[in-house]
Amino acid sequence: MQLFKTPNIKFLKYKYIALAVTGVIVLAGILNIAVFKGLKLGVDFGEGSLLRVMMRTPSSEGLIRDLLGSVGLGKSQVQRSGNTGREFQIRAMETVNTKAGEQDQLEAHEALADKIIAALRGEDGRAELARGLVDLNTVDERTLSGLLETAFPGSGPDAARKIVAYRNDTGIIADFQDLAGLGLKPEALAFLKDKTFLGKMTILSRETVGPQVGADLRRKAVQATIWSLIGMLIYIALRFKLEYGVAAIFTLAQDVLITMSLYSFTNREINLPIIAGILTIVGFSTNDTIVIFDRVRENQKTMRGKPLEEVMNISLNQCLGRTIITSGTVFLTVGALFGFGGEVINDFAFLMLIGTIEGVYSTIYLSCPIVLLWQNLFKPKNARRR
Amino acid sequence: MKKNLQWKVILTLAVIAGAIILAYPFNDKKIKRGLDLKGGIHLVLQVITDDSINMETDLEISRLEDLLKKNAITFQKVTKEGLGRIAVQGVLADEEGKTRDMFDQYSRDWDYGFAGDRATLTLTPIEAQRLRDQSVDQAKQTIDNRINTYGVAEPLIQKQGRDKIVVELPGIDDPERVKELIKVTAVLEWKLVKAGPADNEATLLEATNGQVPDDAEILRGDPKKGQGGFYLVNKVSVITGKDLRTIRLTQDEWNNPAVSFTLNSEGGARFEQVTGDNIGKQIAIILDKKVQSAPTVEDRIQRVAGGVIRLGRGTPQEADDLITVLKAGALPAGIRYLEERTIGPALGADSVRQGLIAGLVAVLAVMIFMVIFYKLSGLNAVFALLLNVLLLFGALAYFKATLTLPGIAGIILAIGMSVDANVLIFERIKEETALGKGIMSSISQGFSRAFTAIFDSNLTTIISAIFLFQFGTGPIRGYAVTLTISLVANLFTAVFVSHLLFDLTVKKTAKKMSI
Repeated sequence: MQLFKTPNIKFLKYKYIALAVTGVIVLAGILNIAVFKGLKLGVDFGEGSLLRVMMRTPSSEGLIRDLLGSVGLGKSQVQRSGNTGREFQIRAMETVNTKAGEQDQLEAHEALADKIIAALRGEDGRAELARGLVDLNTVDERTLSGLLETAFPGSGPDAARKIVAYRNDTGIIADFQDLAGLGLKPEALAFLKDKTFLGKMTILSRETVGPQVGADLRRKAVQATIWSLIGMLIYIALRFKLEYGVAAIFTLAQDVLITMSLYSFTNREINLPIIAGILTIVGFSTNDTIVIFDRVRENQKTMRGKPLEEVMNISLNQCLGRTIITSGTVFLTVGALFGFGGEVINDFAFLMLIGTIEGVYSTIYLSCPIVLLWQNLFKPKNARRR
Repeated sequence: MKKNLQWKVILTLAVIAGAIILAYPFNDKKIKRGLDLKGGIHLVLQVITDDSINMETDLEISRLEDLLKKNAITFQKVTKEGLGRIAVQGVLADEEGKTRDMFDQYSRDWDYGFAGDRATLTLTPIEAQRLRDQSVDQAKQTIDNRINTYGVAEPLIQKQGRDKIVVELPGIDDPERVKELIKVTAVLEWKLVKAGPADNEATLLEATNGQVPDDAEILRGDPKKGQGGFYLVNKVSVITGKDLRTIRLTQDEWNNPAVSFTLNSEGGARFEQVTGDNIGKQIAIILDKKVQSAPTVEDRIQRVAGGVIRLGRGTPQEADDLITVLKAGALPAGIRYLEERTIGPALGADSVRQGLIAGLVAVLAVMIFMVIFYKLSGLNAVFALLLNVLLLFGALAYFKATLTLPGIAGIILAIGMSVDANVLIFERIKEETALGKGIMSSISQGFSRAFTAIFDSNLTTIISAIFLFQFGTGPIRGYAVTLTISLVANLFTAVFVSHLLFDLTVKKTAKKMSI
């Protein structure tokens, strides 16, 4: 199948408009980051706690927010995840008292997380715990095994393993009846109903990073970004001429800035995977730039006498099929990640979705125009016809 | 078949076989899953190494007091001036030389100086660093022991930097308990009680005119054990955790879980003497500076008898954990957590499931896309793609790399990126045929001309992956690893194998090809 019959689109005719548009977007992004919304740093960079919880019965963001509001934690961010209506992400946002000093901040964050958990649990289970019952939704396998062993010698570990495996699979046991399918003896089920209860929620994950590690991770993220940019620049500068390297600097800077400002605009948090995502986009975009530059260089040999702008246009058109197909396949895979990859990886996939498009745009409308401008500025007219 | 095609086929088959052997049967043993997929806890903790300097300073003070007395040197008092800094006050001018000699002989790890009647000692930086390093190593060893006693499969306990320790425990389903188990200092002491328990410090000190005697200190009861109030106890302990010989789980007279112990001969002798001299007085059992209980000594406790540490209304797990930490020994210094991540097993399983679905959808989508666009040549690309994934798993198994959630994302992304090489080549072949070249020459031209672009573009992505690996942590490293491996494998599958497939399937006499 042929995508286009020898396309001849005058991409670079619109280069000034494109440069202006890019400039406005980047400027707006920088303004937004520097002056208005700023960047929202996630848990990885030392900004509090992130809890993922699963409720036994479907709930809603509003209900949970109200619940937290009633104990003075109304500023916490609550986000529903998955499509069962039972999973929620909660980000503790209360300003932690920093008077205690850096060292104890982690503990303050942890205390906040504890408070959230306590609020969510509410009165649930307190009466049962006081009666000495065990919460089947949080008990560890060893304890459960010991409990079952007292009543059913010899079959405790096996039954406990089955129950915990079921719980790990579903996240939470909603009803004792759900355990009926596990091949447990009816007496065992009756025993469990008698000696245990089903808690209202389980904690799927809990992450807290203290300021010290947070600062360390921040520093490393910046280092990783800067060094990979330098690495790519050196490579491009070695492989191509100086002006191509300069163009690459601008392109890479734009890639980073646009994706960062996008995060600022959409209120998403920046975590470690996002840094990985940004670097991947930079790599992808550079990849695209190299393919075009490579073609330009090749064409320059055969099309002596043609102005560079025309050579670039021809090269862009020649590579258009490839550009669209490659971005298409990456877009497809990233789309699959976005749609099916789950909540944890969702932000990363979102970034990549935008990045694949942005990367192509930056090659056509930033890398090429900059090389052209450079040549117009520094090379005499006749030197362009080599 | 041509000769050079033969060895190419053999090489390809050998690589395929190698990858299968390495990765088969694709289970947990072959490809390790990271904590984010398996569930578990990741802790970064910092050893408060100042504690060890403090301890050394206290020790040196009491040593100096003894030495000064022994050498008949007149002094007012020895005071702690700060971390690793001591002052001896009131040294007579004509005894300065004698004091200097004493310092030279006995306090080699301390630098000293005189100013008037005051001598100042400072711990040498080398010794201070040695003490700090030692406390970190000991803490690591202690944590290691505790985790081993508790029983965790494949724990990872590593020193990081100067004073940090990373603990990774997969498959833990009770993180709070483990966190407590690691953090508790577990310094167990028995001390004679001078006064208490009292509700506040004022009533506690009534007998001593509101002053804390020099040889005593105030401790609080452990509220968790229902043991409130304040106690005035001797500074010197009768016995400590180091004197324990055996430790066992038992029950007290109210059937509450408790820990029973016996003492070694030295500790037993001391315990026997002190209890014999202090019948009717209280002796406090202190864990980490909190009074657990303060039973009254009713009789001389025989050296073999040992005793029981009551836990009040504790759970059997608490008693168990106390035994674990007592057996593993006390931490040489306090620790604090810098980072805590707990991933429940349910979330990990969910991530694996979703990653698998996303991966399958991605592979299928790309395969369909390629076959529709490039027909039979698309099949060639599909084969290269599948081989790429296979090689990736083989390499992961070979390098014993850990698969993480970002790592899965890296694989999926690499699936999309790796067909880029095929696309570059195919588009090039199309262009060459459009110029009127023959099929065979178009194919070889397509491959050779596209190669530089493929090589360059893969390399730039690998450059950023290398720096991500360098500066990243666990999960991100997983991403860098899968992405790098796929892109390297890509040069083999999309260029070498794909070219070979064309050589094998496209007839020399063909006028058209399915592309």
